[in-house]
Amino acid sequence: MNALSSMDLIATAGRTPWHRASALSKIALALLILLLAVFTPSLSLLGVLFGVAILLALSARVPVRLLLTAMAYPVAFALLFVLARWDGTWITPARILLRPLTCCVAVIWLMGSTPYPDVFAPLSRVLPRAVGDGLFLTYRALFDLIDRSGRLWRAIRLRGGAEGSARRRLSLAGEGLGTLVLYGFERSQRFYATMQLRGHSGRICGCRHYADVTPADLLTLAAAVGVILAAVTLWGRL
Amino acid sequence: MTHLHIPDGILPLRIWLPGLALALLVLVVSAWLTHRETRPKLAFQSSIGALMLAAMAIELPLGPLEYHLSLLGPVGVLLGPAAAFQVVFVVSAMLALVGHGGLTVVGWNALVLGAGAGIARPIARALSARFDPAVSMAAATACAQALSGALWVAVMLGGLRLVSRGRWLHDTGTPVLAALAAPLWAAGVVIETLVALGLGRFLQRVRPDLLPGRAPLPGKDLAR
Repeated sequence: MNALSSMDLIATAGRTPWHRASALSKIALALLILLLAVFTPSLSLLGVLFGVAILLALSARVPVRLLLTAMAYPVAFALLFVLARWDGTWITPARILLRPLTCCVAVIWLMGSTPYPDVFAPLSRVLPRAVGDGLFLTYRALFDLIDRSGRLWRAIRLRGGAEGSARRRLSLAGEGLGTLVLYGFERSQRFYATMQLRGHSGRICGCRHYADVTPADLLTLAAAVGVILAAVTLWGRL
Repeated sequence: MTHLHIPDGILPLRIWLPGLALALLVLVVSAWLTHRETRPKLAFQSSIGALMLAAMAIELPLGPLEYHLSLLGPVGVLLGPAAAFQVVFVVSAMLALVGHGGLTVVGWNALVLGAGAGIARPIARALSARFDPAVSMAAATACAQALSGALWVAVMLGGLRLVSRGRWLHDTGTPVLAALAAPLWAAGVVIETLVALGLGRFLQRVRPDLLPGRAPLPGKDLAR
Protein backbone atom coordinates (compact mmCIF):
# COMPACT_ATOMS: atom_id res chain seq x y z
CA MET A 1 0.00 0.00 0.00
CA ASN A 2 3.04 2.22 -0.24
CA ALA A 3 1.66 2.79 -3.74
CA LEU A 4 -1.35 4.51 -2.14
CA SER A 5 0.91 6.84 -0.15
CA SER A 6 3.11 7.58 -3.17
CA MET A 7 0.13 8.32 -5.39
CA ASP A 8 -1.41 10.56 -2.75
CA LEU A 9 1.83 12.54 -2.48
CA ILE A 10 2.20 12.95 -6.24
CA ALA A 11 -1.46 13.94 -6.64
CA THR A 12 -1.39 16.60 -3.94
CA ALA A 13 2.14 17.97 -4.45
CA GLY A 14 2.23 17.88 -8.28
CA ARG A 15 2.27 21.17 -10.20
CA THR A 16 1.63 20.10 -13.81
CA PRO A 17 -1.30 21.37 -15.93
CA TRP A 18 -3.02 18.02 -15.32
CA HIS A 19 -2.98 18.74 -11.59
CA ARG A 20 -4.73 22.06 -12.25
CA ALA A 21 -7.47 20.56 -14.44
CA SER A 22 -10.80 19.69 -12.80
CA ALA A 23 -11.26 16.20 -11.40
CA LEU A 24 -14.50 15.71 -13.34
CA SER A 25 -12.91 16.25 -16.75
CA LYS A 26 -10.01 13.92 -15.89
CA ILE A 27 -12.40 11.23 -14.64
CA ALA A 28 -14.33 11.53 -17.92
CA LEU A 29 -11.13 11.21 -19.99
CA ALA A 30 -9.86 8.24 -17.96
CA LEU A 31 -13.26 6.50 -18.31
CA LEU A 32 -13.27 7.17 -22.06
CA ILE A 33 -9.84 5.57 -22.47
CA LEU A 34 -10.81 2.67 -20.18
CA LEU A 35 -14.06 1.88 -22.00
CA LEU A 36 -12.46 2.17 -25.45
CA ALA A 37 -9.61 -0.12 -24.35
CA VAL A 38 -12.03 -2.70 -22.92
CA PHE A 39 -14.36 -2.80 -25.93
CA THR A 40 -12.30 -2.07 -29.03
CA PRO A 41 -11.44 -4.98 -31.32
CA SER A 42 -8.73 -2.89 -33.03
CA LEU A 43 -5.11 -3.54 -32.08
CA SER A 44 -3.93 -0.29 -33.68
CA LEU A 45 -6.43 1.72 -31.61
CA LEU A 46 -5.23 -0.11 -28.50
CA GLY A 47 -1.66 0.86 -29.40
CA VAL A 48 -2.67 4.51 -29.80
CA LEU A 49 -4.61 4.48 -26.51
CA PHE A 50 -1.66 2.91 -24.70
CA GLY A 51 0.65 5.58 -26.14
CA VAL A 52 -1.75 8.34 -25.07
CA ALA A 53 -2.05 6.89 -21.56
CA ILE A 54 1.74 6.67 -21.19
CA LEU A 55 2.11 10.24 -22.46
CA LEU A 56 -0.52 11.43 -19.98
CA ALA A 57 1.18 9.66 -17.06
CA LEU A 58 4.67 10.88 -17.92
CA SER A 59 3.51 14.47 -18.50
CA ALA A 60 1.81 14.34 -15.08
CA ARG A 61 5.28 13.47 -13.68
CA VAL A 62 4.23 10.08 -12.37
CA PRO A 63 7.55 8.43 -11.46
CA VAL A 64 8.57 5.81 -14.01
CA ARG A 65 9.34 3.33 -11.24
CA LEU A 66 5.82 3.64 -9.80
CA LEU A 67 4.36 3.31 -13.27
CA LEU A 68 6.38 0.16 -14.00
CA THR A 69 5.45 -1.36 -10.63
CA ALA A 70 1.77 -0.70 -11.30
CA MET A 71 2.07 -2.19 -14.80
CA ALA A 72 3.65 -5.37 -13.45
CA TYR A 73 0.33 -6.53 -11.90
CA PRO A 74 -1.69 -6.52 -15.14
CA VAL A 75 1.16 -8.13 -17.06
CA ALA A 76 1.44 -11.01 -14.57
CA PHE A 77 -2.28 -11.79 -14.83
CA ALA A 78 -2.53 -11.11 -18.54
CA LEU A 79 0.19 -13.71 -19.23
CA LEU A 80 -2.07 -16.41 -17.80
CA PHE A 81 -4.83 -15.33 -20.17
CA VAL A 82 -2.34 -15.12 -23.07
CA LEU A 83 -1.59 -18.79 -22.40
CA ALA A 84 -5.31 -19.58 -22.25
CA ARG A 85 -5.99 -17.98 -25.64
CA TRP A 86 -2.77 -18.86 -27.41
CA ASP A 87 -3.49 -19.21 -31.15
CA GLY A 88 0.02 -19.05 -32.56
CA THR A 89 -0.25 -15.41 -33.69
CA TRP A 90 1.20 -12.30 -32.04
CA ILE A 91 -1.98 -10.27 -32.49
CA THR A 92 -4.06 -12.00 -29.82
CA PRO A 93 -1.35 -11.84 -27.11
CA ALA A 94 -0.64 -8.18 -27.97
CA ARG A 95 -4.34 -7.38 -27.68
CA ILE A 96 -4.65 -9.20 -24.34
CA LEU A 97 -1.58 -7.42 -22.94
CA LEU A 98 -2.37 -3.93 -24.22
CA ARG A 99 -5.95 -3.83 -22.89
CA PRO A 100 -5.16 -4.08 -19.14
CA LEU A 101 -1.95 -2.07 -19.50
CA THR A 102 -3.81 0.84 -21.10
CA CYS A 103 -6.53 0.80 -18.43
CA CYS A 104 -3.96 0.57 -15.63
CA VAL A 105 -1.84 3.47 -16.94
CA ALA A 106 -4.95 5.64 -17.48
CA VAL A 107 -6.06 5.04 -13.87
CA ILE A 108 -2.54 5.74 -12.59
CA TRP A 109 -2.53 9.04 -14.53
CA LEU A 110 -5.90 9.98 -13.01
CA MET A 111 -4.88 9.15 -9.46
CA GLY A 112 -1.39 10.62 -9.87
CA SER A 113 -2.84 13.98 -10.90
CA THR A 114 -6.01 14.11 -8.75
CA PRO A 115 -6.19 13.94 -4.94
CA TYR A 116 -8.37 11.08 -3.68
CA PRO A 117 -11.07 13.30 -2.12
CA ASP A 118 -11.60 14.98 -5.51
CA VAL A 119 -12.16 11.57 -7.13
CA PHE A 120 -14.39 10.37 -4.27
CA ALA A 121 -16.57 13.51 -4.28
CA PRO A 122 -18.48 12.71 -7.52
CA LEU A 123 -18.52 8.99 -6.64
CA SER A 124 -20.08 9.68 -3.24
CA ARG A 125 -23.00 11.38 -4.95
CA VAL A 126 -24.03 8.21 -6.76
CA LEU A 127 -23.12 5.62 -4.10
CA PRO A 128 -25.23 4.89 -0.99
CA ARG A 129 -24.49 7.38 1.80
CA ALA A 130 -22.70 4.94 4.08
CA VAL A 131 -20.38 3.88 1.26
CA GLY A 132 -19.77 7.43 0.03
CA ASP A 133 -18.92 8.62 3.53
CA GLY A 134 -16.93 5.42 4.08
CA LEU A 135 -14.62 6.34 1.18
CA PHE A 136 -13.67 9.66 2.82
CA LEU A 137 -13.37 8.28 6.34
CA THR A 138 -11.33 5.26 5.21
CA TYR A 139 -9.03 7.55 3.27
CA ARG A 140 -8.60 9.79 6.33
CA ALA A 141 -7.73 6.86 8.59
CA LEU A 142 -5.57 5.03 6.07
CA PHE A 143 -2.26 6.88 6.18
CA ASP A 144 -2.28 7.07 9.97
CA LEU A 145 -2.84 3.30 10.18
CA ILE A 146 -0.22 2.55 7.51
CA ASP A 147 2.34 4.52 9.55
CA ARG A 148 1.28 2.81 12.75
CA SER A 149 1.37 -0.66 11.25
CA GLY A 150 4.88 0.06 9.89
CA ARG A 151 6.07 1.13 13.34
CA LEU A 152 4.34 -1.83 14.96
CA TRP A 153 6.05 -4.26 12.61
CA ARG A 154 9.47 -2.73 13.30
CA ALA A 155 8.82 -2.99 17.04
CA ILE A 156 7.74 -6.63 16.73
CA ARG A 157 10.91 -7.47 14.78
CA LEU A 158 13.17 -5.61 17.22
CA ARG A 159 11.65 -7.48 20.16
CA GLY A 160 12.17 -10.87 18.55
CA GLY A 161 8.63 -11.31 17.27
CA ALA A 162 9.90 -12.43 13.86
CA GLU A 163 11.73 -15.41 15.41
CA GLY A 164 10.37 -18.82 16.33
CA SER A 165 7.81 -21.02 14.67
CA ALA A 166 5.42 -19.77 11.99
CA ARG A 167 2.52 -20.40 14.38
CA ARG A 168 4.06 -18.16 17.04
CA ARG A 169 4.92 -15.42 14.54
CA LEU A 170 1.43 -15.40 13.04
CA SER A 171 -0.24 -15.36 16.42
CA LEU A 172 1.98 -12.44 17.48
CA ALA A 173 1.10 -10.65 14.23
CA GLY A 174 -2.57 -11.10 15.15
CA GLU A 175 -2.01 -9.65 18.62
CA GLY A 176 -0.21 -6.70 17.05
CA LEU A 177 -3.13 -6.15 14.70
CA GLY A 178 -5.40 -6.28 17.76
CA THR A 179 -3.69 -3.13 19.06
CA LEU A 180 -4.43 -1.47 15.72
CA VAL A 181 -8.10 -2.50 15.95
CA LEU A 182 -8.27 -0.89 19.37
CA TYR A 183 -6.49 2.21 18.13
CA GLY A 184 -8.90 2.39 15.18
CA PHE A 185 -11.85 2.08 17.55
CA GLU A 186 -10.64 4.82 19.90
CA ARG A 187 -9.70 6.99 16.94
CA SER A 188 -13.14 6.60 15.37
CA GLN A 189 -14.78 7.73 18.64
CA ARG A 190 -12.53 10.82 18.86
CA PHE A 191 -13.04 11.54 15.19
CA TYR A 192 -16.81 11.38 15.47
CA ALA A 193 -16.73 13.71 18.49
CA THR A 194 -14.66 16.18 16.43
CA MET A 195 -17.10 15.93 13.53
CA GLN A 196 -19.99 16.74 15.87
CA LEU A 197 -18.15 19.69 17.37
CA ARG A 198 -17.59 21.05 13.88
CA GLY A 199 -21.29 20.87 13.08
CA HIS A 200 -21.46 17.60 11.14
CA SER A 201 -24.84 17.52 9.41
CA GLY A 202 -25.10 13.77 8.85
CA ARG A 203 -23.39 13.60 5.49
CA ILE A 204 -19.81 14.16 4.39
CA CYS A 205 -19.97 16.22 1.19
CA GLY A 206 -16.27 16.08 0.36
CA CYS A 207 -14.65 18.86 -1.58
CA ARG A 208 -16.93 20.98 -3.73
CA HIS A 209 -14.34 22.06 -6.28
CA TYR A 210 -14.01 18.76 -8.15
CA ALA A 211 -16.06 20.27 -10.99
CA ASP A 212 -14.41 23.73 -11.04
CA VAL A 213 -13.41 24.31 -14.65
CA THR A 214 -9.95 25.85 -15.16
CA PRO A 215 -8.02 26.79 -18.34
CA ALA A 216 -6.10 23.53 -17.89
CA ASP A 217 -9.33 21.68 -18.75
CA LEU A 218 -8.76 22.71 -22.37
CA LEU A 219 -5.83 20.31 -22.33
CA THR A 220 -8.07 17.49 -21.09
CA LEU A 221 -10.63 18.39 -23.74
CA ALA A 222 -7.95 18.33 -26.46
CA ALA A 223 -6.76 14.91 -25.29
CA ALA A 224 -10.37 13.63 -25.28
CA VAL A 225 -10.99 14.95 -28.81
CA GLY A 226 -7.77 13.28 -29.97
CA VAL A 227 -8.80 9.97 -28.42
CA ILE A 228 -12.29 10.15 -29.98
CA LEU A 229 -10.83 10.96 -33.42
CA ALA A 230 -8.43 8.02 -33.11
CA ALA A 231 -11.34 5.76 -32.11
CA VAL A 232 -13.48 6.86 -35.06
CA THR A 233 -10.59 6.39 -37.50
CA LEU A 234 -9.17 3.11 -36.23
CA TRP A 235 -12.14 1.21 -34.75
CA GLY A 236 -12.78 -1.08 -37.72
CA ARG A 237 -9.11 -1.67 -38.60
CA LEU A 238 -6.71 -4.33 -37.34
CA MET B 1 -5.01 -15.10 -2.35
CA THR B 2 -8.57 -13.88 -1.97
CA HIS B 3 -8.07 -10.61 -3.69
CA LEU B 4 -8.77 -10.71 -7.41
CA HIS B 5 -6.00 -8.70 -8.98
CA ILE B 6 -7.42 -9.35 -12.42
CA PRO B 7 -6.91 -6.16 -14.42
CA ASP B 8 -9.43 -4.45 -16.71
CA GLY B 9 -9.94 -5.80 -20.20
CA ILE B 10 -9.07 -9.42 -19.41
CA LEU B 11 -12.41 -10.89 -18.36
CA PRO B 12 -15.16 -10.84 -20.98
CA LEU B 13 -18.12 -8.49 -20.56
CA ARG B 14 -20.48 -11.38 -19.78
CA ILE B 15 -18.44 -12.11 -16.65
CA TRP B 16 -17.52 -8.70 -15.25
CA LEU B 17 -20.80 -6.88 -15.94
CA PRO B 18 -23.07 -9.26 -13.96
CA GLY B 19 -20.48 -9.22 -11.14
CA LEU B 20 -20.52 -5.43 -11.03
CA ALA B 21 -24.32 -5.28 -11.20
CA LEU B 22 -24.74 -7.88 -8.44
CA ALA B 23 -22.19 -6.14 -6.21
CA LEU B 24 -23.99 -2.80 -6.61
CA LEU B 25 -27.29 -4.49 -5.78
CA VAL B 26 -25.82 -6.08 -2.64
CA LEU B 27 -24.31 -2.71 -1.76
CA VAL B 28 -27.69 -0.98 -1.96
CA VAL B 29 -29.30 -3.74 0.14
CA SER B 30 -26.49 -3.55 2.72
CA ALA B 31 -26.86 0.25 2.87
CA TRP B 32 -30.58 -0.15 3.49
CA LEU B 33 -29.91 -2.73 6.22
CA THR B 34 -27.47 -0.41 7.99
CA HIS B 35 -29.21 2.93 7.46
CA ARG B 36 -30.32 3.08 11.08
CA GLU B 37 -26.82 2.50 12.40
CA THR B 38 -25.13 5.34 14.21
CA ARG B 39 -22.40 7.57 12.80
CA PRO B 40 -19.76 6.34 15.29
CA LYS B 41 -20.33 2.86 13.84
CA LEU B 42 -19.58 4.23 10.37
CA ALA B 43 -16.39 5.85 11.65
CA PHE B 44 -15.33 2.53 13.22
CA GLN B 45 -16.27 0.69 10.04
CA SER B 46 -14.03 3.02 8.04
CA SER B 47 -11.18 2.55 10.51
CA ILE B 48 -11.46 -1.21 10.03
CA GLY B 49 -11.46 -0.70 6.24
CA ALA B 50 -8.27 1.35 6.55
CA LEU B 51 -6.79 -1.37 8.76
CA MET B 52 -7.65 -3.96 6.11
CA LEU B 53 -5.75 -1.89 3.52
CA ALA B 54 -2.84 -1.36 5.92
CA ALA B 55 -2.73 -5.10 6.72
CA MET B 56 -2.65 -5.91 2.99
CA ALA B 57 0.57 -3.87 2.80
CA ILE B 58 2.25 -5.94 5.50
CA GLU B 59 4.42 -8.74 4.16
CA LEU B 60 4.54 -11.74 6.43
CA PRO B 61 7.77 -13.62 5.65
CA LEU B 62 7.09 -17.36 5.53
CA GLY B 63 10.20 -19.06 4.26
CA PRO B 64 10.64 -18.34 0.56
CA LEU B 65 7.15 -16.80 0.28
CA GLU B 66 5.68 -13.53 1.49
CA TYR B 67 2.02 -13.47 2.39
CA HIS B 68 -0.22 -10.39 2.36
CA LEU B 69 -3.04 -10.58 4.90
CA SER B 70 -6.66 -9.88 3.96
CA LEU B 71 -8.18 -9.91 7.51
CA LEU B 72 -11.44 -11.02 5.98
CA GLY B 73 -12.63 -13.06 8.96
CA PRO B 74 -11.87 -10.51 11.69
CA VAL B 75 -13.50 -7.73 9.62
CA GLY B 76 -16.64 -9.86 9.17
CA VAL B 77 -16.74 -10.85 12.85
CA LEU B 78 -16.24 -7.29 14.13
CA LEU B 79 -18.66 -5.55 11.76
CA GLY B 80 -21.30 -8.06 10.68
CA PRO B 81 -22.29 -9.02 7.10
CA ALA B 82 -23.84 -5.78 5.81
CA ALA B 83 -21.22 -3.35 7.13
CA ALA B 84 -18.40 -5.74 6.20
CA PHE B 85 -19.64 -5.82 2.58
CA GLN B 86 -19.57 -2.03 2.44
CA VAL B 87 -16.03 -2.08 3.82
CA VAL B 88 -14.76 -4.64 1.29
CA PHE B 89 -16.40 -2.69 -1.54
CA VAL B 90 -14.62 0.51 -0.46
CA VAL B 91 -11.33 -1.40 -0.04
CA SER B 92 -11.67 -2.99 -3.49
CA ALA B 93 -12.46 0.38 -5.09
CA MET B 94 -9.46 2.02 -3.42
CA LEU B 95 -7.18 -0.82 -4.52
CA ALA B 96 -8.47 -0.58 -8.09
CA LEU B 97 -7.64 3.13 -8.10
CA VAL B 98 -3.95 2.35 -7.60
CA GLY B 99 -3.88 -0.34 -10.27
CA HIS B 100 -4.32 -3.35 -7.95
CA GLY B 101 -7.08 -5.02 -9.93
CA GLY B 102 -9.27 -3.34 -12.51
CA LEU B 103 -12.20 -1.02 -12.01
CA THR B 104 -14.45 -3.38 -13.96
CA VAL B 105 -13.52 -6.20 -11.54
CA VAL B 106 -14.39 -4.23 -8.39
CA GLY B 107 -17.74 -6.05 -8.39
CA TRP B 108 -16.20 -9.52 -8.33
CA ASN B 109 -13.56 -8.44 -5.80
CA ALA B 110 -16.26 -7.16 -3.47
CA LEU B 111 -18.44 -10.25 -3.95
CA VAL B 112 -15.58 -12.71 -3.36
CA LEU B 113 -14.32 -10.90 -0.26
CA GLY B 114 -17.83 -9.98 0.89
CA ALA B 115 -19.07 -13.59 0.76
CA GLY B 116 -16.35 -14.65 3.19
CA ALA B 117 -16.75 -11.63 5.45
CA GLY B 118 -20.55 -12.11 5.33
CA ILE B 119 -20.52 -15.58 6.89
CA ALA B 120 -17.91 -14.80 9.56
CA ARG B 121 -20.05 -13.13 12.20
CA PRO B 122 -22.97 -15.62 12.15
CA ILE B 123 -20.48 -18.49 12.50
CA ALA B 124 -18.57 -16.74 15.31
CA ARG B 125 -21.84 -15.98 17.09
CA ALA B 126 -23.02 -19.59 16.80
CA LEU B 127 -19.71 -20.93 18.09
CA SER B 128 -19.35 -18.43 20.92
CA ALA B 129 -21.96 -20.34 22.95
CA ARG B 130 -19.58 -23.32 23.22
CA PHE B 131 -16.09 -21.91 22.66
CA ASP B 132 -14.25 -18.84 23.85
CA PRO B 133 -14.48 -15.78 21.57
CA ALA B 134 -10.93 -16.05 20.25
CA VAL B 135 -11.45 -19.63 19.08
CA SER B 136 -14.83 -18.67 17.62
CA MET B 137 -13.20 -15.80 15.70
CA ALA B 138 -10.45 -18.11 14.43
CA ALA B 139 -12.95 -20.77 13.31
CA ALA B 140 -15.14 -18.15 11.63
CA THR B 141 -12.05 -16.78 9.88
CA ALA B 142 -11.12 -20.25 8.65
CA CYS B 143 -14.61 -20.66 7.12
CA ALA B 144 -14.57 -17.12 5.66
CA GLN B 145 -11.13 -17.56 4.13
CA ALA B 146 -12.00 -21.02 2.79
CA LEU B 147 -15.14 -19.70 1.09
CA SER B 148 -13.49 -16.60 -0.36
CA GLY B 149 -10.46 -18.57 -1.51
CA ALA B 150 -12.69 -21.16 -3.22
CA LEU B 151 -14.72 -18.42 -4.92
CA TRP B 152 -11.50 -16.72 -6.05
CA VAL B 153 -10.30 -19.93 -7.68
CA ALA B 154 -13.75 -20.50 -9.21
CA VAL B 155 -13.91 -17.02 -10.77
CA MET B 156 -10.34 -17.25 -12.06
CA LEU B 157 -10.81 -20.70 -13.56
CA GLY B 158 -14.28 -19.82 -14.87
CA GLY B 159 -12.82 -16.81 -16.66
CA LEU B 160 -9.94 -18.84 -18.05
CA ARG B 161 -12.25 -21.62 -19.26
CA LEU B 162 -14.51 -19.13 -21.00
CA VAL B 163 -11.71 -17.47 -22.94
CA SER B 164 -9.89 -20.71 -23.77
CA ARG B 165 -12.72 -22.65 -25.40
CA GLY B 166 -11.36 -25.32 -27.73
CA ARG B 167 -7.81 -25.07 -26.40
CA TRP B 168 -5.64 -27.15 -24.04
CA LEU B 169 -6.44 -25.05 -21.00
CA HIS B 170 -10.17 -25.54 -21.40
CA ASP B 171 -10.13 -29.31 -20.97
CA THR B 172 -6.85 -30.47 -19.43
CA GLY B 173 -5.42 -27.27 -18.00
CA THR B 174 -8.24 -26.32 -15.64
CA PRO B 175 -7.78 -29.28 -13.24
CA VAL B 176 -4.01 -28.71 -13.34
CA LEU B 177 -4.42 -25.06 -12.37
CA ALA B 178 -6.96 -26.00 -9.70
CA ALA B 179 -4.45 -28.49 -8.24
CA LEU B 180 -1.77 -25.78 -8.26
CA ALA B 181 -4.09 -23.32 -6.53
CA ALA B 182 -5.13 -25.79 -3.79
CA PRO B 183 -1.95 -25.48 -1.63
CA LEU B 184 -2.11 -21.66 -1.87
CA TRP B 185 -5.74 -21.77 -0.81
CA ALA B 186 -4.93 -24.03 2.15
CA ALA B 187 -1.97 -21.84 3.18
CA GLY B 188 -4.23 -18.77 3.10
CA VAL B 189 -6.77 -20.48 5.38
CA VAL B 190 -4.11 -21.55 7.92
CA ILE B 191 -2.30 -18.18 8.00
CA GLU B 192 -5.43 -16.05 8.34
CA THR B 193 -6.82 -18.41 11.03
CA LEU B 194 -3.67 -18.17 13.17
CA VAL B 195 -3.56 -14.39 12.82
CA ALA B 196 -7.27 -14.18 13.74
CA LEU B 197 -6.61 -16.38 16.79
CA GLY B 198 -3.95 -13.95 18.03
CA LEU B 199 -6.18 -10.97 17.29
CA GLY B 200 -9.15 -12.60 19.01
CA ARG B 201 -7.09 -13.46 22.12
CA PHE B 202 -5.89 -9.89 22.38
CA LEU B 203 -9.38 -8.41 22.05
CA GLN B 204 -10.76 -10.99 24.49
CA ARG B 205 -8.26 -9.80 27.11
CA VAL B 206 -8.50 -6.08 26.46
CA ARG B 207 -11.89 -5.23 24.91
CA PRO B 208 -14.16 -8.31 24.89
CA ASP B 209 -17.16 -6.08 24.19
CA LEU B 210 -15.97 -5.59 20.61
CA LEU B 211 -16.49 -9.31 19.94
CA PRO B 212 -19.97 -10.58 19.02
CA GLY B 213 -22.19 -11.81 21.82
CA ARG B 214 -20.41 -9.77 24.51
CA ALA B 215 -22.08 -7.01 26.49
CA PRO B 216 -20.70 -3.52 25.83
CA LEU B 217 -18.49 -1.96 28.49
CA PRO B 218 -20.08 0.97 30.34
CA GLY B 219 -19.69 4.16 28.29
CA LYS B 220 -18.11 2.30 25.36
CA ASP B 221 -21.15 1.25 23.36
CA LEU B 222 -20.85 1.99 19.64
CA ALA B 223 -24.62 2.32 19.33
CA ARG B 224 -24.61 5.12 21.88
